[in-house]
Amino acid sequence: MQKKAFSFFHNNRASLIVLFALVLLPFIVGLFEGASPIVVWENQGGISKFVEGLGIEIFILALYALSYDLIFGVTGLLSFGHAMFFAVGAYLTGIALKSFALSLPAVIGLVFLAAILQALLFGLVLPRVKGITFALVTLGMASMFHIIVTSSELGNYTGADVGLQGVMVPSFINPANERLRFYFVALVVLILIYLLYQRFVNSPTGRVCVAIRENEGRAKMLGYNTFAFKLAALMLSSFAAALAGVLHALYQPIVSPNVADLSFTVTALLIVLIGGVGTLSGALIGAFVYRLLDFGLRRYIGENASFITGTIYVAFVLFIPYGMVGTWRLKSFRVAQGWRRLLAAFKT
Amino acid sequence: MNHDIIVETINLSKQFGALVAVDNVNIKVRRNSLHAIIGPNGAGKTTFFNLLSGNIEPTSGKVMFKGSDLTHQPVHRMIHHGIGRSFQITNIFPNLTVFENVRLASQALEKSNFKFWMNVSRLEKCEYRTWEVIEKVGLKERAHAPARTLPHGDQRKLELGMILAPDPEVLLLDEPTAGMAAEQVPELLALIQEIQKTGNKTVILVEHNMNVVMSVSDIITVMHLGKVLAEGTPAEIAANREVQTAYLGGLYELNV
Amino acid sequence: MNAFFRKNLLSAATLIVILIFFIAAAQGMNSQDFVITFLRGLSVGAVTFLVASGFSLIFGLLDVLNLAHGTLFMIGAYIGWTVFVRPDTFADLLTPFALILSGFALRDMYPLLSARVRLGLRMRRILPWALIIVSVLLLGLILPRYPIAGWNLDNYAESPVTYSFMASQGTPLPPPTATFDQISPALAIGGLLLASLFGSFGLFLFDQSVQRSPRLSWRSYAGFVVLLLVGLIAFIFNSALTAFLLGLNANWLFFIAVIVATLSGAGLGALMEATLIRPLYSRPIYQLMLTIGLSAIGVQIVQAVWGRPEFVMPKPTLFNGSGASCPATSFSSWWQGNCSTILLLGGRVRTYNEIFIPLIGLLVLVAVWILLQRTRLGMIIRAGVQDREMVEALGINVRRVFTMVFALGVGLATLGGALAAPSMGLSNAMGESFLLNALIALAIGGLTSYPGAALGSLLVGLIQQFIIKYGQIGISIPFTSIVLKPTPPIVPASTVLLMVIILLIMPNGLLGKKE
Ligand SMILES: Nc1ncnc2c1ncn2[C@@H]1O[C@H](COP(=O)(O)OP(=O)(O)OP(=O)(O)O)[C@@H](O)[C@H]1O
Ligand SMILES: [Mg+2]
Repeated sequence: MQKKAFSFFHNNRASLIVLFALVLLPFIVGLFEGASPIVVWENQGGISKFVEGLGIEIFILALYALSYDLIFGVTGLLSFGHAMFFAVGAYLTGIALKSFALSLPAVIGLVFLAAILQALLFGLVLPRVKGITFALVTLGMASMFHIIVTSSELGNYTGADVGLQGVMVPSFINPANERLRFYFVALVVLILIYLLYQRFVNSPTGRVCVAIRENEGRAKMLGYNTFAFKLAALMLSSFAAALAGVLHALYQPIVSPNVADLSFTVTALLIVLIGGVGTLSGALIGAFVYRLLDFGLRRYIGENASFITGTIYVAFVLFIPYGMVGTWRLKSFRVAQGWRRLLAAFKT
Repeated sequence: MNHDIIVETINLSKQFGALVAVDNVNIKVRRNSLHAIIGPNGAGKTTFFNLLSGNIEPTSGKVMFKGSDLTHQPVHRMIHHGIGRSFQITNIFPNLTVFENVRLASQALEKSNFKFWMNVSRLEKCEYRTWEVIEKVGLKERAHAPARTLPHGDQRKLELGMILAPDPEVLLLDEPTAGMAAEQVPELLALIQEIQKTGNKTVILVEHNMNVVMSVSDIITVMHLGKVLAEGTPAEIAANREVQTAYLGGLYELNV
Repeated sequence: MNAFFRKNLLSAATLIVILIFFIAAAQGMNSQDFVITFLRGLSVGAVTFLVASGFSLIFGLLDVLNLAHGTLFMIGAYIGWTVFVRPDTFADLLTPFALILSGFALRDMYPLLSARVRLGLRMRRILPWALIIVSVLLLGLILPRYPIAGWNLDNYAESPVTYSFMASQGTPLPPPTATFDQISPALAIGGLLLASLFGSFGLFLFDQSVQRSPRLSWRSYAGFVVLLLVGLIAFIFNSALTAFLLGLNANWLFFIAVIVATLSGAGLGALMEATLIRPLYSRPIYQLMLTIGLSAIGVQIVQAVWGRPEFVMPKPTLFNGSGASCPATSFSSWWQGNCSTILLLGGRVRTYNEIFIPLIGLLVLVAVWILLQRTRLGMIIRAGVQDREMVEALGINVRRVFTMVFALGVGLATLGGALAAPSMGLSNAMGESFLLNALIALAIGGLTSYPGAALGSLLVGLIQQFIIKYGQIGISIPFTSIVLKPTPPIVPASTVLLMVIILLIMPNGLLGKKE
């Protein structure tokens, strides 16, 4: 029993170290500035508060990218409407809090229902359209949603093309006063979803999803009703994306309609690509790299930053096609193989 | 109702535009027999298989299995009825390991396919079955290699393994030896025959290698231009003049 | 016959439904509104078609979803503007461009050369990078010092907006002549040539897969010599060329601008396919990512060179008149007065936007149709769209065809951009909206079908314009007194909705083939 627990720690030591570092990060940053952990704990630190903010943004982005990796990387469904999954969560939260003054648990329940509904909506078309046509249909649905939230008719609720502002965030999680708590909440949500997804990929359902990505016709022939599995993946993905949207609406002072845009779906695609398609952990690392790159370039280079980001993507596609995690795994695979060969030579 | 007949087609036809690929085919397959279907290239054998396994919808006619109509069943139900099928052109999951390929095949009949919080390795029966099948088709050494890295012959074995794993009653084998090295063919066919005999299976086999067909099969159906040209025991087919002139035409040597 | 009928029943039914809507829409407005709206729809449809047809050819044959197509369309507009409004800049640019490209024309020689170079494995790895770095360094050194008369984004008086305004007034600004900056002309030209040779050879060395047995003939050098001559002549007679272009009739200049935009688009497309897309044919999803990245880069380049503000491109004089005889009442009076508007059925129709562009669209439609149906290349393309493996099996050099199709597709897009610039102005966002239009049009018509691209574009253009018009005049709903006025966001929504509906009924579009 004890040994088992130990091997768990041993096998996951890298992840655990990262987790530990993330927990300590706000305090360590605070120390650099001379702020004691207590000051940080009471949300008074300047720079540590800023780092917490950046961390929260990265967690939200990572959660969103993770949900895209599940349908795109694992199940092989190319959707151009993924931003809608996120935006529905964000807008619903904002509107429910602002215009209907619902409590947070009620909001999350509502978002959960909406997540199921939108996954069903996307799933509805699955039996009819495949591949690139599915991408176009989902793009169409997401554009409609984008148009609806930007239309002036609903301006009272959605804020039209300016975006949704003035959301009253419950005080116990208000990012202005309780940022550290928000930081940990976002971190915990991200980790929970990540663990759930890891389990999913290694579950009977997840394995069938991978099979669908590899060769859908064959999976059908083996006796799987592939539609049901794709729908399951969509549901799980929609749920996590909507949750990311909830956090976004709570954290950001304004929910811009840009989060319903095609370019936001492309952001997810880029993150997944940077990290490694279908690896899950790639989505986390990708979000980290993406956000920091974006932040750094904008800060130090300014307006022309997206030229450099664009170039980096092109370079990624051409030279690191398996993403950071994918390439790392391949390499370590080869290293392990090399070791084995070497040892085998000694044996004989 | 004849309980001896397990698969039966009634006036089964399939048209592709103007081409009638399968034309009014009536075939009765006896339970626990090894039924071979032969015919020249383009005779419609693969199309006939596709109709049997539900991959395509017939233009007209019916497919009966144990007396019930399976014509319009979706493909993914077939294995649940007990009909498994292998492909002429290797159809596997190229980037997954051999083990994973076979495991997916045997997992199909599990009840807990939607338990997404459970680890697959806890499907112990399925795991056990997978190793059993891998051993049977002789891929144990390569079990953890990605399927695409296997040589062609081994991929054919894997294809066979994937149909054996769910243990169907009826096996539709579309040229299981296609593209295999000649010396491997008898071994594989012996395996098929053994599975059929010991497991009380019904095998419907499409095969080009005439010597082999003649030696292993109980009944042979000859197809030509979508129609059934002749049907009978190997000896009857070998003696059939019509078959010899119309189809064999000296292309294949018949030495039974 | 029966089968044919059944197969197309759905498409026919959908078309009939759309037609009924269309007739109903036409009933709701008076004839002059109708004419204008209809022609505007044709105009938008024609531009959409130019984007969509190229996109569809590329997707059909190469399976590449070129999401940079909209950006390329936009670049076409900016190139057209440059040639038309700043011909002196164009003349100055000819030399460096010709010189930089000249090295690539020597590609037949490179296998021979690389066979001669005997180097160790490590050096072989390093060499291409070294060559490319040297080439980039040379370019970075020379180009900033090379005299190119341009505009100044930071100074309003010298910005594209001002130049456009002056050109539309018929008095182009006297361009400031640029001179070499701390570098002798001979050195600059030699350096550019060297950079081109190094760079192209370096790029060639990356692509080790093509080692055709080289058989050199005069053709191998012809391209290089021609480009070199063009570069040198353009350099020596630079001022004469500038004066000639500046003195040219605006109609001819416009014609030249459109041609230059088309050709440079084709060149850009060929370059893109050969260098960036080609290594990725085995990984389609990465091609998608690549084109998205390129699209972002393209927008940035345009912003850096031409600036962010929107500006217009003057119309050629043939469509710009506003004399006493305008608006023209007949085509002959238009011809005399070169009027910018013409009266048709009581409606004032802009001659450039609503008559010229649809006509050009029709012309291109027919020309590409002939290319596809009547030429060998077209035959290969059509066969390739049907079954690529088959064409490859026939031993046709598919690679070259791929490059040509990519060039053709991008050329069509830049042609569209150059044509659209005078009618809708230039902005950084024009590419995105037309890419979306084209995607919708193709989804409606059928992704890989050429007639489908035409039909889809037409529908998209018409529907958008009619809804915009109804947004102004309002729809009175029968039996009620309610007047519904669709607001601007409904315009894209309507076509998107149509796309979703059609894709759900017919996943392959109206004219697409069943898989
Ligand atoms: N999807 C399809 N669309 C159109 N024609 C088809 C299709 N599938 C098969 N055919 C045609 O139907 C005929 C029968 O093909 P089929 O593959 O069934 O022959 P086969 O007997 O299996 O031949 P082989 O011995 O080469 O495997 C052929 O002429 C083939 O071209
Ligand atoms: Mg066959």
